[in-house]
Amino acid sequence: MRSPYKLFFVAYLMVMLLVSGCSNQSSTRENEKGTKGETGKDKTTLVLAQSADITTMDPQNSLSTTGDRVFRNMFNRLFYRDANMEVQPELVEAYENVDDVTWKFKLKQGVTFHNGDPLTAEDVKFSLERVMNDQTLKEYPYFTQLAKIKVIDDLTLEIITDGPMPTLLRLLAKSGADVIPKKYFEEVGLKEFQKKPIGSGPYQFVEWKRDDRVVLEAYPDYFDGAPKWKEVIVRAIPESSTRVGELLTGGVDIATDIPPNEWDRVNGDEGVSLVTGDTTRIMLLVVRTTEGSVTADPKVREAIDLAINEKAIVDSVLKGTGVPVRSRVPEGVIGSNPDLYDAYVYDVEKAKKLLAEAGFKDGLEITLTAPKGRYPLDGEVAQLIASMLGEAGIKVNLKLLESSAFLDIYNSNSNEELLMIGLADGLLDASYSLVHYTKERATGQTDYYNEKVEKLYHDAGRNLNEEERIKQYQEIQAIIAEERPHITLFQQGSNYGVSDRVEFKPRLDEVINFSDISVK
Amino acid sequence: MEVNIKTNSLADANNCIAKSKQSSLWRWPKLLLQSKTGTVGFLIVFVVVFVAVFADSLAPHNPAANNLGDMLKPPAWLDGGTSAYLLGTDNLGRDILSRIILGTRVSLLVGIFSVVVAGIIGILIGILAGYYGGLIDNILMRIVDSFLAIPSILFILVVLAVFEPSIMVLIIVIGFTNWVTYARVVRGEVLSIKEREFVKASKSIGTRNGIIMLKHIFPNIISSFIVISTLSVATTIILEASLSFLGLGIQPPEISWGGMLTDGRNYLATNWWLVTFPGIAITVTVLGIIFLGDWLRDVLDPRTQGRK
Amino acid sequence: MKKYLIRRLLQLIPVLFIITFVVFVLVYLAGDPVSLMLPEDASEEDREALREALGLNEPFLYQYFHFLGDLISGDFGTSFRYSQEALPLVLERLPATFELAAASMLVAIVLAIPLGIFSARKRNSFVDLFITGGSVLGKAMPNFWLGIMLILMLAVNYQIFPVSGRGTFVHLVLPAITLGTGVAAEMTRLIRSSMLEILHQDYIRTAKSKGVSDTLVIFKHAFRNSLIPVVTITSLQISHLVSGALITETVFSWPGLGQLLVQAVNGRDMAVVQAAVFVIAILVIVINLITDLVYRLLDPRINYS
Repeated sequence: MRSPYKLFFVAYLMVMLLVSGCSNQSSTRENEKGTKGETGKDKTTLVLAQSADITTMDPQNSLSTTGDRVFRNMFNRLFYRDANMEVQPELVEAYENVDDVTWKFKLKQGVTFHNGDPLTAEDVKFSLERVMNDQTLKEYPYFTQLAKIKVIDDLTLEIITDGPMPTLLRLLAKSGADVIPKKYFEEVGLKEFQKKPIGSGPYQFVEWKRDDRVVLEAYPDYFDGAPKWKEVIVRAIPESSTRVGELLTGGVDIATDIPPNEWDRVNGDEGVSLVTGDTTRIMLLVVRTTEGSVTADPKVREAIDLAINEKAIVDSVLKGTGVPVRSRVPEGVIGSNPDLYDAYVYDVEKAKKLLAEAGFKDGLEITLTAPKGRYPLDGEVAQLIASMLGEAGIKVNLKLLESSAFLDIYNSNSNEELLMIGLADGLLDASYSLVHYTKERATGQTDYYNEKVEKLYHDAGRNLNEEERIKQYQEIQAIIAEERPHITLFQQGSNYGVSDRVEFKPRLDEVINFSDISVK
Repeated sequence: MEVNIKTNSLADANNCIAKSKQSSLWRWPKLLLQSKTGTVGFLIVFVVVFVAVFADSLAPHNPAANNLGDMLKPPAWLDGGTSAYLLGTDNLGRDILSRIILGTRVSLLVGIFSVVVAGIIGILIGILAGYYGGLIDNILMRIVDSFLAIPSILFILVVLAVFEPSIMVLIIVIGFTNWVTYARVVRGEVLSIKEREFVKASKSIGTRNGIIMLKHIFPNIISSFIVISTLSVATTIILEASLSFLGLGIQPPEISWGGMLTDGRNYLATNWWLVTFPGIAITVTVLGIIFLGDWLRDVLDPRTQGRK
Repeated sequence: MKKYLIRRLLQLIPVLFIITFVVFVLVYLAGDPVSLMLPEDASEEDREALREALGLNEPFLYQYFHFLGDLISGDFGTSFRYSQEALPLVLERLPATFELAAASMLVAIVLAIPLGIFSARKRNSFVDLFITGGSVLGKAMPNFWLGIMLILMLAVNYQIFPVSGRGTFVHLVLPAITLGTGVAAEMTRLIRSSMLEILHQDYIRTAKSKGVSDTLVIFKHAFRNSLIPVVTITSLQISHLVSGALITETVFSWPGLGQLLVQAVNGRDMAVVQAAVFVIAILVIVINLITDLVYRLLDPRINYS
């Protein structure tokens, strides 16, 4: 080889190495920053970066955490959840449970929409009836238990449910229960409403550039006092390293969904820090108990559970965010079972023994379907599970799918022996999570049926005695942890990168109230 | 009778070229050694193919075996690296060198075979359309236009959403979407070539269309084909990475360089070796393929022959 | 020429027809959007109710002709995700993507033409090898890798350019380089190889032997002819630009058509996919038409009768 060629080649590889090495070295170097964003008392604009854009300006047709973070600040509901997830009155002055199915609410006075119209019982009736009746709305399935809304006077209304409903107030604090202005909405229609949405919340709409940003500004006449921020910008930045880049350069104040691999970058940098919290999302394996499949045998299901070291998964790949659980109802959600929280079973030898007893001395083969890119590091977790099961003699045929293809499998019930999914609890109530173990819901998917679970669930659903109801839910979870139609893995954590310019505390429901964030 | 004589002399001329081309098998290595870039390209491609074929025996570790105790170990020559993992380990504690070695297989398979599929369809349609013109050209070009108008990645995205992305599916889908590139370029060339004197002469003496296409048109488009297809192998390896980025590439546990790049991109700022080594593997391979392709082009193209 | 134009315009009709059909079939095969529109917890009844409400239970051909009928009246349907008409959603993204594509093409042309010519003239020299190698590197770098790299180096470590978003001219620089590099690489190679071919053709040799200056030969004769394949590749780059835009726009959160498209496919948002593909189809066809006309200007030997 003539020397220039050799030289060129070496130079080539050097450049490649250097470029990558450099970026590594210099990113840990201290950066001058904070110059871009305002600081201290002058700071009146809050910039938030999310991993996805909202898809609609219709709060009753969104059903996403990203959307809820915007709508929560633009609209009001009858109730809200405080930082401890306790349900508190928001638009409601006083309420009363008239009988098993009738609830009476008195609204606060002086609440106005962003266009100046007063918020009345008619608006509440209109909003709730819309979400109760319009099947195309994404929030519709959650509101089917509401039977009738009666307006008594301008500020008084009654809600009649289709039976005793212990979860009504929680539902009224949930996304989708947002109050929209009847007069304005009927006047302009959905299409125009989307272009200029009007609510009664602390922040009002300025503009929405799709896949770029939503801009909100303070609504000075907000009934609960003038909001903290003059302007709030919610940006959509899907690529995590770009999101972190904006955070490090002071372009945004808070960035959501920081995957574990970016933590060192966030923590190693002056001026920003990582804030972690919990979510209601539980990663779990949906197990097919259908007659004829190998996982119909409870011993095989137990062996699978025993072969997976949930603690190791959380500690290694997830760097400690997340809590191993044995139930789908995590701490903080009403009806959770403390015995099954922060708990896991792991015993490879026993797993092998159980497999032998079940007649699979020479091992067996199962299929695990899992998403890739839907939850943080989901593909990595699935690969770990596959190799852990391999150590117990279970050969796993791992199928990793992109989010949509994965949901197709899940929703069409074409899941094979195992399917990994993360399920959240939007109502923060066990009734929401445990419905999966009823015959109606399990048929076709896990094909699980237990007469006792069935009875407990339906009794609890109509039980207005909270204490008893919680006991019933806890009992269901104890049974499920033994019978394993779901093998629960861990409670997912939430990770935010936060600039030192602001003070922020994450919530269990992952909602962000802009006015709860303060300047340092 | 004059016509016949002309045909014969033309055929003789062609035979002559063919003979001189295949006079001896030794001609090829000789020609290869004459070109430095060609030699380098050949050596790289040879090594890559060798690695792909014997990947199982060459890999020092099981590429799928994760070791949570050895996560994100840097390459052996850096602080904290061990000689057990020459190029370090990834976020699941898997040996990067072994994964690159195994990944060679998938990347090459997808790269080469999708180009073969695309090339066969594209050349055939391009020649037919360009040579015959008229209605055939019209129909074929309308199909080409339709395909061209659909961004290939969208086509691939939707197909991969329907069928689970396996190596075979990827080859076929990429092949079936990329043929239009060849068809259009080939047609463009054919349009120009068929106006040249030697083609016109052949036609005027009544040589059959099939023969003209095979003997006069085909050799003249080979150089374009090779130039595009070498780059295409590269593009396909990159396309596979892009599909991984969009979540629709070859999925683990199958190993591909594109998948390694995609998964490693999140570690670019903190653990550079996850991305850099598969990146170098891609670059060097692509460089080799292109050098080899350039050399082949010089040797095969009748227009560039005897130029040196 | 006029007749040719009219004929080409008439050809649009079957092409658009084929496209609507192909796209409809693909999107139809892609499956049921309902499962993506409802939460993981939705029951089969909820899904069935939504399916019925959206008219997804009708037979395939009925759905297709229904779609075609709406299309003729200019209605591309309503986006599932955005609950809005699909066409305006697509059209509002065009300026952002045009801006990015134009800037990228500019980057590509500015880089590729001088590099390609230079490397052809200095064939097999060190410079040639370096340019060839550079073009390989340009091709071998996936868009997303280059984009993330540029952000790390030029936006985070040395805060010269903004990290992401669309706004001022400086916001455009990094995405345009990211998207333009791949195109430049391909163009450089193409210009180089077609220059090489032309430099060895008889008329150039004749011109040279007649004592015409080197530079004049290059620019007057060789360059013009070497543009023919470049024009072809430029029109082909349109669909490359679209696919590159999918990734570049995602990396830089650039609010263009690419992001809309990839999210529409992922969300099985049929109406948006169809509207976007239709709009792109028309653009591509128009560009191809222009390509063919430019061809004709550059190479008068091509006969269009």
